[in-house]
Amino acid sequence: MHLLLVGVSHRTAPIELRERIDFSTRGVDAAVAALAGRPTNSEAAVLSTCNRAEIYLAAPDPDTAREDVIAFLCEFHGVEASEVAPHLYEKQDGEAARHLFRVAAGLDSLVVGEPQILGQVKDAYSVASAQQSVGPLLNKLFHASFLAGKRVRSETSLGEGAVSVSYAAVSLARKIFGTLTQRTVVVVGAGEMGKLTALHLKAQGIRRMLIASRTMSHAMALAETIEATAVPWEQLSAALGEADIVITATGANLPILVRADVTAIMKPRRNRPLFIIDIAVPRDVDPAAGELDQVFLYNIDDLQAIVQENLTRRAAEMTRADRIVGEEVDRFAAWLRSRGAIPTVVALRQRFETIRRAELERLQHKLAGLPLEAQKRVDEVTRLIVEKLLLTPTEQMKALPDTETMAAYSDALTRLFSLTSDNGGPAPRDSNPAEAGSGAGQPDPAEAGSRAPHGGPEQASDANGAKSG
Amino acid sequence: MNGIPLVVYAIAAGAYGVFFATGRAAVGRLASAVLAAGALAHTFLIGMQTMAIGHAPIADTTSAISTFVWLLALAYLYTEMTTEERAMGVFIVPLLVALQVIPAIRPGLERRAPILESPWFALHVSSLLFAYASFALACVIGITYVLLFKEIKAKHLGFFYKRLPSLQRLDAMNVRAVTIGWIFLTIGVGVGVIWTAQARADAVLDPRLRAMSILDPKIAVAVLSWAIYSFQLYARRAIGWSGRRAAWLSTVGFAIVLVNFVAVGYFLTKSHNF
Repeated sequence: MHLLLVGVSHRTAPIELRERIDFSTRGVDAAVAALAGRPTNSEAAVLSTCNRAEIYLAAPDPDTAREDVIAFLCEFHGVEASEVAPHLYEKQDGEAARHLFRVAAGLDSLVVGEPQILGQVKDAYSVASAQQSVGPLLNKLFHASFLAGKRVRSETSLGEGAVSVSYAAVSLARKIFGTLTQRTVVVVGAGEMGKLTALHLKAQGIRRMLIASRTMSHAMALAETIEATAVPWEQLSAALGEADIVITATGANLPILVRADVTAIMKPRRNRPLFIIDIAVPRDVDPAAGELDQVFLYNIDDLQAIVQENLTRRAAEMTRADRIVGEEVDRFAAWLRSRGAIPTVVALRQRFETIRRAELERLQHKLAGLPLEAQKRVDEVTRLIVEKLLLTPTEQMKALPDTETMAAYSDALTRLFSLTSDNGGPAPRDSNPAEAGSGAGQPDPAEAGSRAPHGGPEQASDANGAKSG
Repeated sequence: MNGIPLVVYAIAAGAYGVFFATGRAAVGRLASAVLAAGALAHTFLIGMQTMAIGHAPIADTTSAISTFVWLLALAYLYTEMTTEERAMGVFIVPLLVALQVIPAIRPGLERRAPILESPWFALHVSSLLFAYASFALACVIGITYVLLFKEIKAKHLGFFYKRLPSLQRLDAMNVRAVTIGWIFLTIGVGVGVIWTAQARADAVLDPRLRAMSILDPKIAVAVLSWAIYSFQLYARRAIGWSGRRAAWLSTVGFAIVLVNFVAVGYFLTKSHNF
């Protein structure tokens, strides 16, 4: 059984194409249901965000499954294969897992470290769960991705620090004033940059926002779009007296606020702090004003320096985050490999069990003379011998470091013990309680589960696997 | 016996240090848990001492310090629970450790002098210890305020910027702690005056009671600290001295309190050595 990923993201496809194959328009659950009905896969999940559309499958034969899933994509969205194909990426097993883990950790996001994506991955999983399209492989995969995402979040500072000038200004304002709802903001100048910062502040729940511009009509136009109040330019100093936060973004060539102006504003404020964000170039506020007590003056360069520093820190954290993802991928890949051993191990056990039973049957006439208690003991002892003989080889098989070696070992075991399907085949699956008992002794719950006579819906696929393996 | 909470507090101090340096939430929770364990051990210790001597261990300076440390630990844990801020622990808990060293190496548990067997006396000391604990918190909050203020002002957003709550919040926490402290300081000093008057009537010749005057260092410095905190609260309302100036005042105020509590208490006072 292989893990297969086919998808497009903001890294590979333009927005026009992403819009056309956006699963959320027709419902992710419908897509999952349609996918799960196709015979080429045994498990399916769909991750759909505005930046990516990805399909995760568990498939016995990845090549046919890939062909099929591309056909599905084109059918479902009504697009031509030639349009999508150049933008698709396709990954298998460990690399597919690494991709999902990086996505969940925010490493593949447009803004690295953004926190929403982990929630979106969780949503993708719960939709697929609700459609009952996930089995042991995708269950394990998604839970491992949540863990990777959480670890990156808590063990690195990938998501910390503002990465835009406007947000840097907002986070400074919050560090100075705490909650911003009760604060008054004055925006000086009605340009685009001032508007952006004002909107970010507005999103923090600022109720009172005043806008002043030399041209009253500009101030009024901006005031209307962001639900603020325009004040005439002549009343600017009165407005500044009320302000907690001032954003200056005019096109003036000379400073509109010199130190003496700010001193005059500060006097009646009785030490209330004033945060001035000067995002105009050339600067609107004389830097000397920033020396005044209780005045925090940040210009565009200061804010950009903060952003740059945060970006550098995030980039530095990416290496650490990728290391964490790598650890989780290794763990998942080891689990996946150990599953590859299951068909051979199952066949081997069935072979041994068949031999044991045949021998017991052959001796039946000799054993019949023994008391019932002793007969039971003989059965028990032979079963234990078989168990013990198989324990070490089973563990060794599962711990093999790579798939090639595992294939070679499987091949060897198949030949040495003639594990062809007519030999180790379905015979012992005849729900024998002794068989179930021997399975319970296994250290790996996944394998124990897959061997239980009355297993879950994934039972069928594992039985197929046993035959083909 | 005072060594047990000392050791636990020291471990907690280390954990708070690691938490402050790394910012890992799990370490922070561990630090709080260790501190709570230390405070619990301290509670048992004080309970046992109370049973052994028949009254709360507050009559001599050494036991009073131990009780003060206990109260401060509880007050800090309470602040932590109500504000969800752990960044202050790295400043408070080392103070607990430093002060707890004194009772740990100087076991001073004695029965109180008969003259102290008055509910007024118990109220006097416990109010003041509680006031001192509040002032200690206010001082630490003030220090962190100034550190954060300097970082934002200098545009070097780093260590404290990442770890501390907002300036506004620190200021509000500071004024709350000072207000609570001031109320208890006022009660403590007032009750002290009443008790002195009563005790003088009973024991006219006691030299310590004769030394009870504004000129005694312990009393003079206590009045000085009361004046400073009163000024801080007044200046805040009247002339807008909030934020950094308030932070400085509460730092200076607690420095004076600490000198009065430890240095003056052991070496200088003639009136307060029972």
